[in-house]
Amino acid sequence: MLKERNQDSMKKEILITGFGGQGIVMAGRILGQAASLEDHHESTFVQSYGPESRGGACSAQVIISNQVIHYPYISRPDILICMSQAGYEKFINTIKPDGMLLVEQDLINPRNAEVEIFSIPATRMAEESGNKMMANIIMLGFLTAVTEVVSLDAALKTVTRLVPEGTEEKNIQAFNKGWDYGRATLKGREKKAAGQTGAIS
Amino acid sequence: MNSFHIILFVCNWGPHSAFQKLQDESADIPAEVKMVRIPCAGRISKALLIKAFEMGADGVMLAGCHPGACRYGSGTESARQNTEDAREILELLGLKKDRVRFATFLPDDSEAMLRLLKDFSNEIKRVGKSPVIPTRKPAPGPIDKKKVAEVVAAHDIFACQDCGKCSSACSLAQMGKPFSPRVVANSVIAGDIESPTVIENIWACLTCGLCYERCPSAVNFPEFIRDVRHVLSKSDRAGHETHGGFFQSMMRTLTSPDLKPEHWEWLPNDIRSNPDGKVLFFGGCAPYFDIFFRRHLGVRTRKILVDSLRLLNFFDIEPALLSDERCCGHDLLWSGDQENFLKLAALNVESFHHLGIEEVITTCPECYRTLKHDYPEHGVEINFKVTHLYEIIEKEISKGAVDFKKMDQSVTFQDACRLSRMERMADLPRKLLSRLKPKGFQEMKDHANAAVCCGNCSWIGCDSFSKALQVQRLRQAHDTGSNLLVTACPKCQIHLQCAMEDPFIGEEIKMEVEDLSSVIARTICWE
Repeated sequence: MLKERNQDSMKKEILITGFGGQGIVMAGRILGQAASLEDHHESTFVQSYGPESRGGACSAQVIISNQVIHYPYISRPDILICMSQAGYEKFINTIKPDGMLLVEQDLINPRNAEVEIFSIPATRMAEESGNKMMANIIMLGFLTAVTEVVSLDAALKTVTRLVPEGTEEKNIQAFNKGWDYGRATLKGREKKAAGQTGAIS
Repeated sequence: MNSFHIILFVCNWGPHSAFQKLQDESADIPAEVKMVRIPCAGRISKALLIKAFEMGADGVMLAGCHPGACRYGSGTESARQNTEDAREILELLGLKKDRVRFATFLPDDSEAMLRLLKDFSNEIKRVGKSPVIPTRKPAPGPIDKKKVAEVVAAHDIFACQDCGKCSSACSLAQMGKPFSPRVVANSVIAGDIESPTVIENIWACLTCGLCYERCPSAVNFPEFIRDVRHVLSKSDRAGHETHGGFFQSMMRTLTSPDLKPEHWEWLPNDIRSNPDGKVLFFGGCAPYFDIFFRRHLGVRTRKILVDSLRLLNFFDIEPALLSDERCCGHDLLWSGDQENFLKLAALNVESFHHLGIEEVITTCPECYRTLKHDYPEHGVEINFKVTHLYEIIEKEISKGAVDFKKMDQSVTFQDACRLSRMERMADLPRKLLSRLKPKGFQEMKDHANAAVCCGNCSWIGCDSFSKALQVQRLRQAHDTGSNLLVTACPKCQIHLQCAMEDPFIGEEIKMEVEDLSSVIARTICWE
């Protein structure tokens, strides 16, 4: 990803889906602002509540590019992040064939997915650290580590700026948890690919 | 003084006849050879061989009877094995194995003996003077009562309310030993330090800390005992060192600054370490244990170090290793030899500081406690962080994406006193255990802060009560219905395995024992 970003043309279309209340829109806003205000890329952000909002499906569409973005809506995402099964079912068929799928592992059964899947028990991790509202921030940390669409520094700064006052520290902790999990996942895949599955082998 | 010292232990039978013939003929036996006649070469234990070096010998030759000519049957073979082990221990110590040699002689082999002695003497001169500075003990005097009073005051033993909670909890007392921390404390306060019972009790205490755990006045009995031992060790009431004093000899030998131990030569090649790293892995004495107990218990404590390093490597942590690592000194400190403990502490800390080490990781509970607390408390300043391996592993595992393979064993856990009680970290190994996937996990009746001792500490005063304690502990382990006893300290492993060697009930109490680091290392995998 990093390499691609440095090339002449870079454009990532990111779709985040989940239930209303999970902080999907918030995650999208942080992602977009991190990319534009901190990383100095172009970005757009569109939020959509369906008529079923307040508990129903919702989604956020973020485009990050190093060129002017002419149209903010996404029909074929490069990166799909799902935090509910309904969102997954609705959008899984739109993902590009070489796209990346990030899922909340306890809430989603990724049936028929034909792309690379990265999963994280974000809600459980948020509950374990005392506040399940932070699942979105954990997912954001995970996303930052796995996809590198925004830099770590940009994401941290934007999280600190956008979360409610007084909760900065907790949110940064949550973000780091997700980030660590993402790094560990990547490392684990790398090791497995190199044939090292355990400590003794 | 640059003269060499070679000790020749000569068996009273074959070799001594040969040696006497050389003396009769006024043969030119090398002047540096000092002959000590002994009843049988097989009785010169590893401890005695190493003790000679602790006391300043440059070389030791053990002369036994020709194979098949031993009066007692097994003497020649025992001597051969002891020499072999001693040679490996000398390599670890950095003294070079060539300094010890075993040779066998028939009574009329005097010429061969002279040839060998000359050859050995040349060999030792080639290897050079031993860098070991003998640690001289001052002549024992009467017990320094003023010092005892200082120890009593320093630990505020007066706070004892004589309630007896310590005695009802004490592992030794529960085994039926006439032993009571409260009585010892009050006898010492009353000035009864010279009573043989009190002295026996002071050396018998396991310093496991269960009494301190129970004491409502927080009288730190283990540390009090430790410091009274220091006073007693300067008198003629020193304690009884187990295993022939081998471990104390080994530790005292290591206090010589010019000695360059070779602590890690045996390490498998696939372990990744980083010589320039600022995070150091401190192994501890496991390599010595494995050689010393090789023929008795088949102890495999090196495996703990290898598996710990593999775990660190698993998480891409490549620690520095101190090739000339020395003992942390725990056992010297707790067996009364504070002076030599301080020498070891100073040498270790100097090595760490020289390398610019910022963090020391260890998996041994005793090293952990000693480096972290006892060094600074005894005035040896440290400017590095001390971390237990479990802390790092737990932190890394909690980052996620790590899984554990299912185990086909049911598991129970033996707490290490230094970790669970003294450092109050009983929850940490349990947290790691809860991540594993054994068939079942069942705590023993006494566990965590209330766990029972493995039976001995700092290689002193092992007796039948130690044994009874170990047997009871193993029965508790069996009562859990588990078939794997997980330990956190190499000493627990050694001591509990020793009890399993019992010819009568050994089979009944036998149980597989494995260190927690090893269990984690063999089951951990990427998700």
